[in-house]
Amino acid sequence: MLQQVRGCRRAGRLAAPGTGSDSNGDTEDVSLFDVEEETTNRPRKSKIRHPVASFFHLFFRVSAVVVYLLCEFLSSSFIACMVTIILLLSCDFWAVKNVTGRLMVGLRWWNHIDEDGKSHWVFESRKESSQEKKTMSEAESRIFWLGLITCPVLWVIFAFSALFSFRIKWLAVVIMGVVLQGANLYGYIRCQVGSRKNLTSMATSYLGKQFLRQNTGGDQTF
Amino acid sequence: MAEAEESPGDPGTASPRPLMRDLKAVGKKFMHVLYPRKSNTLLRDWDLWGPLILCVTLALMLQRDPADSEKDGGPHFAEVFVIVWFGAVTITLNSKLLGGNISFFQSLCVLGYCILPLTVAMLICRLVLLAGPGPVNFMVRLFVVIVMFAWSIVASTAFLADSQPPNRRALAVYPVFLFYFVISWMILTFTPQ
Repeated sequence: MLQQVRGCRRAGRLAAPGTGSDSNGDTEDVSLFDVEEETTNRPRKSKIRHPVASFFHLFFRVSAVVVYLLCEFLSSSFIACMVTIILLLSCDFWAVKNVTGRLMVGLRWWNHIDEDGKSHWVFESRKESSQEKKTMSEAESRIFWLGLITCPVLWVIFAFSALFSFRIKWLAVVIMGVVLQGANLYGYIRCQVGSRKNLTSMATSYLGKQFLRQNTGGDQTF
Repeated sequence: MAEAEESPGDPGTASPRPLMRDLKAVGKKFMHVLYPRKSNTLLRDWDLWGPLILCVTLALMLQRDPADSEKDGGPHFAEVFVIVWFGAVTITLNSKLLGGNISFFQSLCVLGYCILPLTVAMLICRLVLLAGPGPVNFMVRLFVVIVMFAWSIVASTAFLADSQPPNRRALAVYPVFLFYFVISWMILTFTPQ
């Protein structure tokens, strides 16, 4: 299982621990105090690097919700609405899992069956080196997480409303929506949290180093 | 409906997963169901797109004539959906409780893909029904459904039976029998009016 580290964009780069397999720990240390670099990069980070991916990330989810809400007005056939929603949910699941997650936030997750037939779930996040900084953007990340979080919440609300208003025939579609979008949400949160766990331990080691540096003064070689 | 078998490669690559590869994988699995051989493709490289396509196709074909009444079409579509997925999940849970070493999604994948022969049977039945009702009509449909039912059972046990210890095989296989029997029953008793 490859759990790479993602640099924390807001607080400046954290130094990679010296014990890791990370060989460019030195260059990361230098960029740590380079706060000016952070500010000059900020305008670039608010640009959207993958407009098509961002559009489709939101398009399938939002149109599935819209079709569900307006089904009575759009078409008199329950079947057509249901099939359309199922189609949109499937396209959305595939697109978010396989395309937009990788392009917009550099995360991916999948299932791996090894030789013994045991299944492993792998959650990866792309390591952000200084060269690749330009491929991550704050705006895209916001769009991604906003779309990812609000839609499953909506589908859960629809599930309860269908249950309590006894529109049982819609329950199958709504549950499918909850399951598919919830699966993507869970997968990406685990990718994010997994990388952040490393970040927390790195933050602790960085703070420890800073403390020692201040107290002993001079150059410290680790 | 996650797919298995990612190219592990360098996580630094942000390349999106190619669509054609997934479509080809689905097609390959359909072929494996039609010509069941001892092969690990359905198990190692599982995905749930095929079962979804088959389930939706089957549910659409099991609709009454829309001119009859639109309201009636509704519950039948959702019914088929629920029967297929709930049935598959129940069989998977049963097989896991019996100590099978197959994963949840692998089992769903196999059961879903092995609905293919019954979907073909449904197609044939609908075509046969266009010729008009009658005893000969019914005999033809009965024969087709029985053949396809046997095919589904053979295909799914070829993949699933190995995952169970030998003394538990019958216990794991009989729910599969029931599952495909219910689907075959729905297909056989389908009348368009």
